[in-house]
Amino acid sequence: MTPLTLLVLIAGLGLIGWLFARAKAQQLNTGRNALHSLPGHHGWYLALWIVLPALAGVFIWGIISPGLIHAAVMADPAAANLPAFDLERNAILSEAYSLANNPAAIAFNPDAEKLVPAVVAAKSKFGAIGAVLALLLAFSGGGFGYTRLSASFQARKKVERVVLLLLLAASLLAVLTTVGIIASLLFESGLFFSKVNPLEFIFGTHWSPANGSFGAVPLFWGTIFIGAIIAMIVAIPLGLMSAIYLTQYAHPDVRRWMKPMLEILAGIPTVVYGYFAALTVAPLVRDFAVMIGVSNPSTESALAAGLVMGIMIIPFVSSMADDSIAAVPQAMRDGSLAMGATRSETIKKVLIPAALPGIVAGVMLAISRAIGETMIVVMAAGAAANLSANPFASMTTVTFQIVQLLTGDQEFDSAKTLSAFALGLVLFVVTLILNIIALRVVKRFREAYE
Amino acid sequence: MSNPANNWQSPDAEKRLARRYSAERRFKLLGLSAVGLSMAFLVFLIGTMLIGGLGGIDWAFLSGSDSTEPDTAGVWGAVKGSLLTMVVTIALALPMGVFAAVYLEEFAPRNRWTDIVEVSINNLAAVPSIIFGLLGLAVFINFLGMPRSSPLVGGMTLALMTMPVIVIAGRNAIKAVPPSIRDAALAIGASKVQTVFHHVLPLALPGILTGAIIGMARALGETAPLLMIGMRAFVSTPPSGITDPATVLPMQIFLWSDEVDRAFVQNTSAAILVLLAFLLTMNGFAIYLRNKFETRW
Repeated sequence: MTPLTLLVLIAGLGLIGWLFARAKAQQLNTGRNALHSLPGHHGWYLALWIVLPALAGVFIWGIISPGLIHAAVMADPAAANLPAFDLERNAILSEAYSLANNPAAIAFNPDAEKLVPAVVAAKSKFGAIGAVLALLLAFSGGGFGYTRLSASFQARKKVERVVLLLLLAASLLAVLTTVGIIASLLFESGLFFSKVNPLEFIFGTHWSPANGSFGAVPLFWGTIFIGAIIAMIVAIPLGLMSAIYLTQYAHPDVRRWMKPMLEILAGIPTVVYGYFAALTVAPLVRDFAVMIGVSNPSTESALAAGLVMGIMIIPFVSSMADDSIAAVPQAMRDGSLAMGATRSETIKKVLIPAALPGIVAGVMLAISRAIGETMIVVMAAGAAANLSANPFASMTTVTFQIVQLLTGDQEFDSAKTLSAFALGLVLFVVTLILNIIALRVVKRFREAYE
Repeated sequence: MSNPANNWQSPDAEKRLARRYSAERRFKLLGLSAVGLSMAFLVFLIGTMLIGGLGGIDWAFLSGSDSTEPDTAGVWGAVKGSLLTMVVTIALALPMGVFAAVYLEEFAPRNRWTDIVEVSINNLAAVPSIIFGLLGLAVFINFLGMPRSSPLVGGMTLALMTMPVIVIAGRNAIKAVPPSIRDAALAIGASKVQTVFHHVLPLALPGILTGAIIGMARALGETAPLLMIGMRAFVSTPPSGITDPATVLPMQIFLWSDEVDRAFVQNTSAAILVLLAFLLTMNGFAIYLRNKFETRW
């Protein structure tokens, strides 16, 4: 029995229980106010008693059974002549497992092929035991639930308590994710820092993981140069001016069309931007570099990646600026216009200064987004860890190196792969700080005008 | 003649006024050119892809799988991988996101613990996507031993990423339902849970779905976290289940863009057009839902 059929079977039993309990409750409903809860609640009560224990059983069995299957396979005579060496044995075993899952595949190792019948037998045996166990739990849970049903039974309260628990569990998932991110990054970074001095990592200026030197300053510089300098030089003026034009000057009809158009820029996948940066923008930038007399420019430049990233960020800056300008009280604008200032004077002297905290917070959020951006730099920025301020040079970033270190062949305890998690930790902490400060500024700014 | 300083018709004042008006026009023009430049870039990008890729889209391309030969390579394998991944993502992220939103908006007590939940959701929405990839690699693959490059792990990773988006959209939609609806339901004897599930949630559903579709569109275009969990395998047959090795559409674009063979350029642009068509449809549907069902109370 496959897991899917088992789940469908459990769901079917739950449905039967629901219908059955509802019918029973309707029977008990002899007159006005005879029942405490609606028949539907009785139905849900019984269904929960059938499904939840069975699912718990399936879950627990799913954790235990691989060990039991493994033991059964190892006890099989075919496994007697397996090599004692762990790595080799595990390779043969995992091949046998995948062969058992997919009979059409061709075996590389004859030992693995011999093991297949044993694996199949053990799997079906323990699968059947698990299924019987789950069904047993479903029936006993259902039986217990059924004995509780009566006219005065408060089924609604019990069902609603389960619903509330479910809602609580869902909201805890967010906390669990945060904890999971922090824990896994800290754990792997801890392993890394037990091999490499943290000070060397943060202050070292030479990055070459293949040779064991992990000075990350060139990566930090590349990230800041591309994400926080070049991209922002593009995104801040364009985003801010677009927001000002669309909110202060454009006809409402124009705005209704232009704003979603501008937002398309934010919806285009980053891999498309990356491809565009590498294929179209980078050669243009290179030709431009040749034209202004830069000797020997590289095809992968910080400028190309930063330019395209800046374009991607425009709608982000623009919508943040839009919000903060809209939050400035109308009275301030009216006052300035009534004094005889022109629109542009009002914008420059009144609206922007008043909206500045919000705009700055928006820019910080934009920077945090830009430095965490991956695909554009992976496809357009290059791998060389240069520490230079030349925008035509190839430069690498934190995200690029994470991708570089974790794709391809990897063994999980080498300093090389672990360093990716240390870089991830730095990235996480920096974006977190930027976000927290920005959100706090925005909040205080909103309160100031309310 | 009165005092010349008060004379608005004096040549001096007129000159000053003309200067201010021309500054006004310059500023307006600057704004217009900022919008124009952004639009021009969008047109340039889409135009480049259309010119490069439109010729490459035919039935063989749409129904084929990845291949080492640019002529026979197609996107169906990647599209199917994307669909399977999205099914996993939506099956996990939508219920979890909606439940969390309902809890936080309707049931959560105002205390420290709720603040922690709120702060962590807001921060998760801004965490770089590649960090979710690291989480998926460390927890799902290394710790739980789930199959690498499978839509299951990819979908779970993207679900963690999409959930905060759905929670935030869901909370806004639930907040927009007026209290009078709740009061009316409670007044005729509905329990709190009944009020929420029978009255508030159905009214908030269009808003929640709009947010969910936008979140899904983002997840569909995402590449970086999937790169971390190894969904960059060369897959020449479409995956048949959520545990088979698979690749997704953005990843296929990335893989093809890396090919040395120049003939893959057309394939890459064509795959980008397919991806953009999917995203446009999803966003269009979200806008349609919002316009059709948006209620102003």
